[in-house]
Amino acid sequence: MKAVAFLLAVLALLWGVPAQAATSATVLDDRGAVVPLLPVPQRIVSLLPSLTESVCALGQCAKLVGVDRYSNYPASVRALASVGGGLDPNIEAIVALKPDLVLVATSAPGTERLRALGLRVVALEPKDYVNAVRVLGTLGQLLGVDSAKAVVQTMESDMRAAEAQVPMGARGKRVYFEVSPGPYAASTSSFLGQTLERLGLQNIVAGSLGPFPKVNPEFVVRAQPDVILIGDSNADAMQSRPGWASLTALQARRVCAFNKEDADILVRPGPRMAQGAMLVARCLQTVYGAAPALANTKAGAL
Amino acid sequence: MTASMKPTTLVALSAQGAGARLGNTQVLRGLDLQIEAARWTSIVGPNGAGKSTLLKVLAGLMTHTGVVHLQGHPLAAWPARQRAQQLAWLGQSEGAGDDLTVWDVALLGRLPHQAWLGKPSPEDYAAVENALRQTQAWDWRERTLGQLSGGERQRVLLARALSVQAPVLLMDEPLVNLDPPHQADWLHIVRTLVARGTTVVSVLHEISMALHSDTLVVMAQGRICHQGPCADPASHRALEAVFEGRIAIHAVQGQWVALPRTSKA
Amino acid sequence: MKQWVRQRPLALAAGLALLSLILLGAGACVGSTGLQSVREVWSDAVSRQIVWDIRLPRSAGAWAAGALLGLAGAVAQGLFRNPLADPYLLGSAAGASLGVCVALALLGASPVVAPWLLQLGTTGAAFVGATAAVMLTLALARGVQQTLRLLLAGVVVGVVLGAASSLVLLVQPQLMQAMQGFMLGSTALVGWGACVLMLGGWCLCMALAWGLSPVLDGLSLGESTAASLGLPVVPMRMALVLVLALATGTAVAHTGLIAFVGLAAPHLVRAMARAGHARLVLLSSLMGGALLLGADLLARSLIAPQELPVGVLTAVLGGGYLLWLMHRQNPVAVGSKP
Repeated sequence: MKAVAFLLAVLALLWGVPAQAATSATVLDDRGAVVPLLPVPQRIVSLLPSLTESVCALGQCAKLVGVDRYSNYPASVRALASVGGGLDPNIEAIVALKPDLVLVATSAPGTERLRALGLRVVALEPKDYVNAVRVLGTLGQLLGVDSAKAVVQTMESDMRAAEAQVPMGARGKRVYFEVSPGPYAASTSSFLGQTLERLGLQNIVAGSLGPFPKVNPEFVVRAQPDVILIGDSNADAMQSRPGWASLTALQARRVCAFNKEDADILVRPGPRMAQGAMLVARCLQTVYGAAPALANTKAGAL
Repeated sequence: MTASMKPTTLVALSAQGAGARLGNTQVLRGLDLQIEAARWTSIVGPNGAGKSTLLKVLAGLMTHTGVVHLQGHPLAAWPARQRAQQLAWLGQSEGAGDDLTVWDVALLGRLPHQAWLGKPSPEDYAAVENALRQTQAWDWRERTLGQLSGGERQRVLLARALSVQAPVLLMDEPLVNLDPPHQADWLHIVRTLVARGTTVVSVLHEISMALHSDTLVVMAQGRICHQGPCADPASHRALEAVFEGRIAIHAVQGQWVALPRTSKA
Repeated sequence: MKQWVRQRPLALAAGLALLSLILLGAGACVGSTGLQSVREVWSDAVSRQIVWDIRLPRSAGAWAAGALLGLAGAVAQGLFRNPLADPYLLGSAAGASLGVCVALALLGASPVVAPWLLQLGTTGAAFVGATAAVMLTLALARGVQQTLRLLLAGVVVGVVLGAASSLVLLVQPQLMQAMQGFMLGSTALVGWGACVLMLGGWCLCMALAWGLSPVLDGLSLGESTAASLGLPVVPMRMALVLVLALATGTAVAHTGLIAFVGLAAPHLVRAMARAGHARLVLLSSLMGGALLLGADLLARSLIAPQELPVGVLTAVLGGGYLLWLMHRQNPVAVGSKP
């Protein structure tokens, strides 16, 4: 049911977007600024990894001339000039590259400074699945390509494939996703939480606490999740936390530890979200047995 | 308490019903005082009598009840600058800046006479030199306060008060850290000032020094017990009484001296 | 009169001004594209933009921020008669941090950001936060009558507002990296507009501090003595606290929390020349400007094209020089001229 709702929302956005483009030669970015669509950008600087990935997903990788130091996918962007981080952009380096479009996050500092220097700056920040789709649409408009629809359809079918890979034994299980030591967990209102929900998992951390709340470790012990998802650099430390040895998930080794590359995919709300979902599904297969759901009416509806 | 006032003498400084609090304690209890002009008045009393507080009230540096008059006008009515030119105050050391040189400190005393942000005038330089010479500090005027001993510091602060050249000079414990030769110098300075018409009021712990003054004001527990000439035996008895008979005033070679009365008579 | 004593402050002022000009010129040459941009300044529009619109305002802004902090430091040390006083004493650092924290949280919260918030930006939020914190300190201390009470109120306000920042960061941990950038300070986003604003603020604060400097001189002997010298101590101390708030707030709003400049600049001046507060305030300002400009240059060039945080370099430069001065003034030399 959730999958249907998502797809309907997605398609609605996509059908709606071209209508918008036809009536005006500008687009609204996430900070409310009106950005002209012409001329079509040929030199792009991206200061957010998920935006870099979105540009490449739309097939415009060749137009990228500079990226931030955290953008590492696809491998070709690592050879591009690095212009600082999203939070500490090197203004001079960006200007020296003579870009005609700069993509930044909504909370990035330096947006006004770059605009004052005469650059076209667009602030977009995909924070969850629906917004990632919307951002792809906006980017498609900006870059003057119509591959956005195709990319979204691929994303959606990949998502459904990931859903199908979730084993029967894992459906409805209660999950705890630890994003960073603290411990900070991903709740149902975060995009990670939405992905987990789509995969049919129940999150022990409610969305009312915020997207990435710092939870009391005691809370986790009491909630006794069935499976734990965590980055592998923090996985070993988990055992030594007081009281956590009693967690059934730890005792039965129902822990999904993701390495750095996979963790990057998981935490970036970009075009690779479906891949992230697939990573979770695969891990669940190893934990609960490899039998995927057959003839699942929910997944096969569309 | 009433003062024994000579009708022909002017009153430089007076207080009526002066009361003051420090925190929750009532330190001064509605006292009346008249300081004669061109005389040296010493305020003496045991610890906690309120002597420093009284001096601050007279200088207008503390909130108080009652009225204080300077040269016949209410202190509050004086513009700050004119008041500072008329009345100089030397307090107990408040931790002066160690970077300032002796010269700078003495020059600060001329602030009431200088225009705001103005350059010092020749009169200012002359007054500072005079003050530093009087306190024997002229030779090391380039040294900073941090490099001086306690006694040298005190002499510099005294020079600062002297450089104001005010007609009324109030000094709180001016002899702190001073060795006998410099205490004698101080005595000479005060005598010279009074001879020239300056009114000097001092709070002193050294009773023997205080007994050189013209008028003695004896305080205890926020009230004035006695006020009268230093040579008056009544003043001596009042002084001995306020210290609970632990001192005795004797005449030695034309001067009055206070000696401790030990338990054996 | 003591001519050489009089002239030394003047010589120092001239030296610092000259140094600042040289460093400003160097600032136009330092950056990720190096001297190439300078060489192409006449031929290439982008190089011109880099040198004129990016490097020069950054350098001038670094000087202006340093000048503001140096001025504030001299005023703070004079007001509190404490050589360890710095401009952030009355809670302005904590207030600015909280302002930036809240602004970042609100900016990232909803997809549609309120236009007034965008206009205010983190710069405006930092300024408002800094000045509001000082006002809160004044209110808590009930005026400037008692120094100890004022200092205590400043500490309390600093701690409480710091805790409030931590609370905001707890709810939105993704802001922590951005906050760290603010805490370490940077001149990266200073354009000509910000520069003009800071220089204007500097002129105003300098004029006020110069005008109020006799009070600082009098205060060096103690509050009662200053009052006995006819100085209107209370209203002028209030005015000086406001100058402190204005100068610190303006600097912090544009360049973040840069430590040590305000603390070190007056000491460096005092080690080199003797001056009353009127001159000390000006010299301290010039010294702070040169210090921060020099540190900013090093920050930009040491590991180019990456940048070091400026705050680290001001501590190294200023602290290192102070340590060397202290080492020179060893026990043998105490009492003699440096």
